[in-house]
Amino acid sequence: MNPWLLFIIPFASAAIIQLGLKRSAMASSLLSTLSVVATFVIACTLLGSDQSDSWTWVKAGSFELNIGYNLDQLATGMMIVVTGIGMLVHIFSLGYMKTDSAKARYFGCLSMFMFSMTGIVLASNFAMMFIFWELVGLSSYLLIGHWYHKDTAADAAKKAFLSNRIGDFGFMIGILMLWRITGTVVFADMDGSALGNVCSCLAGAAILLTFCGAVGKSAQLPLHIWLPDAMEGPTPVSALIHAATMVAAGVYMMARLFLSLGVTPENVEILSYAPQVIAWTGGITSLVAALMATQQNDIKKILAYSTLSQLGYMVMAVGLIAPEAGMFHLYTHAWFKALLFLGSGAVIYACHHEQDIWKMGGLLKKMPVTAITFLVGTLALTAVPFTAGFYSKEEILYAAKGTPLFYLAAFVALLTTFYMLRLFIVAFLGKPREHGAKEAKEVAPIMSLPLILLAIMAFAAPHISQIFPVPTEWGFHFKILPDLNSSVFWTSIGVFVTGAVAAFVVYSGKDKDPINIPLFRNKFYLDEIYQKLITICQDAVAAIIHLLDEFLIGVLLVGGATRSAQGVGNIFRRFAQNGSLSNYAYLMALGSVLVIYFTVFA
Amino acid sequence: MFEILPSLNEYLFASGLLFAIGLAGVIIRRNIIVIFMCLEMMLAAASLTLVAFSRFNMVGGLPDYDGQMLVFFIITVAAAEVAVGLAIIVSLYRARQTVNTDDLTSLRG
Amino acid sequence: MLFALLLIPIVAAIAIFLGSPSRITALAAALANIIVAAFAITQGSCSVSFQVLENPNINLSLGLYDGMSVIMLILSVLVTLAAVYSGKCPEGREKLWFSSTLLIAAGAIGAFLATDVFFFYAFHELALIPTFLMIGMLGRGDRKAAAWKITIYLATGSIILLAGLLLAMGHLDSFAFSDLKAIPAEHQNTVALLLIIGFGTLVSLFPLHSWAAPAYACAPAPVSMLHAGVLKKFGLYGILRIGMEVAPEGMAHWLPWICVLLLGNIIWVGLVTLNQKRLDLMLGNSSVMHMGYIFLAIAALAANGDNEIAKPAAVLLMFAHGISIALLFSLSAMLEEKTGTLEIAQLGGLAKKAPAFAFLFGLAGMASIGLPGLANFAGEVMVFFAGFADWSPKDGLGWVQITTIIALWGVVLSAVYMLRAFRNIFQGPLVKKTSDACDICSCDVIPAYLLSAVLLIVGIYPQLILQFL
Repeated sequence: MNPWLLFIIPFASAAIIQLGLKRSAMASSLLSTLSVVATFVIACTLLGSDQSDSWTWVKAGSFELNIGYNLDQLATGMMIVVTGIGMLVHIFSLGYMKTDSAKARYFGCLSMFMFSMTGIVLASNFAMMFIFWELVGLSSYLLIGHWYHKDTAADAAKKAFLSNRIGDFGFMIGILMLWRITGTVVFADMDGSALGNVCSCLAGAAILLTFCGAVGKSAQLPLHIWLPDAMEGPTPVSALIHAATMVAAGVYMMARLFLSLGVTPENVEILSYAPQVIAWTGGITSLVAALMATQQNDIKKILAYSTLSQLGYMVMAVGLIAPEAGMFHLYTHAWFKALLFLGSGAVIYACHHEQDIWKMGGLLKKMPVTAITFLVGTLALTAVPFTAGFYSKEEILYAAKGTPLFYLAAFVALLTTFYMLRLFIVAFLGKPREHGAKEAKEVAPIMSLPLILLAIMAFAAPHISQIFPVPTEWGFHFKILPDLNSSVFWTSIGVFVTGAVAAFVVYSGKDKDPINIPLFRNKFYLDEIYQKLITICQDAVAAIIHLLDEFLIGVLLVGGATRSAQGVGNIFRRFAQNGSLSNYAYLMALGSVLVIYFTVFA
Repeated sequence: MFEILPSLNEYLFASGLLFAIGLAGVIIRRNIIVIFMCLEMMLAAASLTLVAFSRFNMVGGLPDYDGQMLVFFIITVAAAEVAVGLAIIVSLYRARQTVNTDDLTSLRG
Repeated sequence: MLFALLLIPIVAAIAIFLGSPSRITALAAALANIIVAAFAITQGSCSVSFQVLENPNINLSLGLYDGMSVIMLILSVLVTLAAVYSGKCPEGREKLWFSSTLLIAAGAIGAFLATDVFFFYAFHELALIPTFLMIGMLGRGDRKAAAWKITIYLATGSIILLAGLLLAMGHLDSFAFSDLKAIPAEHQNTVALLLIIGFGTLVSLFPLHSWAAPAYACAPAPVSMLHAGVLKKFGLYGILRIGMEVAPEGMAHWLPWICVLLLGNIIWVGLVTLNQKRLDLMLGNSSVMHMGYIFLAIAALAANGDNEIAKPAAVLLMFAHGISIALLFSLSAMLEEKTGTLEIAQLGGLAKKAPAFAFLFGLAGMASIGLPGLANFAGEVMVFFAGFADWSPKDGLGWVQITTIIALWGVVLSAVYMLRAFRNIFQGPLVKKTSDACDICSCDVIPAYLLSAVLLIVGIYPQLILQFL
């Protein structure tokens, strides 16, 4: 199969929907779904192959930027994740968006997203990755703003795009610096040893600036604010873009970078101080997000913060020079987080768009399939042994072992168990609290089918090593049977049990939240602080500059020039242009005399 | 026959004097007709210079007549110009009832 | 052939003045121009020349001197067609409206086709007269002031430019482009300074930019489209074509100043743009801001004349910006027609009522903030690569690199103002002004679709344009 088809099919689908099928919702949804099924099949056939191809995008003299693909285990494995989850989300959307008035636009944007994400995954060079990096940003913008007539959705979309733009600002500088340091933007030609030839501060800066892109896209501190707001988009979108694939692109990019530079724990000093900064950014993000998650009431917000927290985990792993652990966690997390989001989507759908978990309750009996699959996802996220999440989290804990980050990661794991079980207990156990939850009934098979498949993957994922998006170069092996003698295993069990017990004790049978920590509930007031900062640093400065522009340039410079011209003119008008004929004659004579003097005598 | 011909300098001096008087008249006087006459005087001064130069610029034993030719032109053109100029002054008087330049200040900027 | 490109709009303008049906004639002329241009470009080199003056040696010579002329010609004819189609002419003023539009186009085409410095300059001046008339007589708002401002500004800039050109010509054999070469080093600094100020005024280089936004806001749509889209590129074209040829060392001498001023364009004017409350002023300022990126490429070229990326980057961005800003001005005129206002705060939720219009506007806006897949991104990204092309990582960052890094923040700024405007105009709930707006009918927006298609195609495959260089 030609890998270009992976680009062409979703792009064609998006283009056809935008150009021709706008009015036919049914046709466009089917076209979009078929396109993603086709790409999934192609992605499966391409597993394990290592082709590459490219065409010249721009060329100026000897300088060239190409659009091309480069298949390796990292890319093909990631493609399976993207197209696989994409396919299930498309199918789920057929049910979830059945009555939406802008279904065609929705599916068009989904196809657009699949196209862009494919570009990131298969990109053969940084310039191309940046192109598609921005394009996923666009698709995410469009999909978050799907219900753009709601102010909150429109604002959230804008916020997401702008936060990403700030990250991309650094990303672009990083790409440019790496381009000059390594002499190329093509992944296959990059050589990490070049980093050793420049001053270490510069090498570290280049890596960190590139990491800025990941900070924006993977919503790490301090640019994490857009991801919870992005939950304004339709829930399947949250599952696909804002949980499983796009937000993980930052981690993927860093893994791709480390792979291209050939970073290993042995030669890590070429990266200078960058890894520590990356690891701590990830660690702090995971902690802060987990703390915020414990006090949220919106089912999607809880999942959003848990996504943030898990992304922090992955970034931390990358920073600890264990990108294989990060990628492995990305891979397992994609399946069960998509499951959780789609599950929450099913719940929201069944409860007539109620998202507050304190208004739900007792859903286990009303919608057993959803509830059980959701429980599977929860267990995977909380890293119960033999679930997918357990293995990957274990890998990260191993990587962190011996550093302070290990304790932080363990504490985050405890918090994860606590807030996820809080969500499950409050929403699915007990009695229905409100009208919506009472009337809830199991969703249609078209929506529960993806849930079941994803639930299977939440167990099966670690056993299908062919589709791991982990390059063979990294020599990644993990043991199916946990090592009973390792402290990591027992820590992991310990924090799970502690978290679970705490959640049951605090939340079992409660009708309202017994704990109230405003700091966590209000997200550390970061949104408010940013709002103030933007108002001061940007809007106020803009207003001042505008004023200065009008005053300095408009009034002083331009006005000054006008007034001085006018002044000089007035002087002449008064003395020379006074209407007296004899005066004119006199001046003319004077002029002639001067001319004669200068031509003849001077 | 013994005659003392005035030298070129004397001619030029006379013409310069004439020109200066004309210029002074143009600048000082207020009556537009007088100004006009002074202008003519300046023109005459210029003509005088030309004739003088012509007379004293001998080419092959004969004066260079180019200058004198030019003077004829000037006289003809000046006649035409006087006609037009006086006509303008007459119509100006009809329009403004004055020929005093102090009252004609519509050129003031 | 090339004379035809120039004569068609002029003859059409005269015909319109003499009473031929204005809109149809103008459209026919613009279409004919596109066809002739396509012919001329595919046919390859065809240049004409006849002598106007022997001493100094001035020739009226037209030709596609190199790829830059070809690209600018494509830009001119495309925008001309869209400009003729756009905007709403007040009743009874069709003659002035369409003939002026065509004359501006003729001036622009002439300037880009001229292969002789004298006529290069003269054609640009030709375009200023109809610009002045159009803004002063058919503009909106404070049109008289805006018309005088742009005219005096541009005329002053042109005079300074003329001084620089004449000074340079004193050291050259003829006015022909092919005779341009570096002048003696001791004069380069002066010439470069005069050319930067002169051309800079025409391109609204900071701090000589204050004519642009009010003029574009007041001007009728075709004028702002043609001026911001095409005519403004004259200055950049001139610097690349003449400044870099006659005074390369002089340009390098002023490099720090160019860097500071272009950052003034990008950051200072970017912030000014952020604070605009009206869409037309915002677009006008944004066009000033984006000139900074092209100057960045020029700075990279000034720093090192061997920079291979800088010139293609500048030309590509000139092309892309011309198309996108023309599209935006055309759409903003349509918006005003629909809703009666361009105050951003008075609008809202328009996408519900006019989805096709919102799509077009979104596309144009996204293009102007440099979204990949649209032409501007290709230009911008090449500019950034050009800025770093000379950097050797062993040394610290140079002027151009630091400027590039700061300039990149402009990408964030432009996203902020464009998305804010889009969000406030098209998203959110409907408000009074938009509640009875209707969507565009497809015949109104043929030129908009044309320009969007160009943006998309060039964005996806920039080699299409770059191949000419």
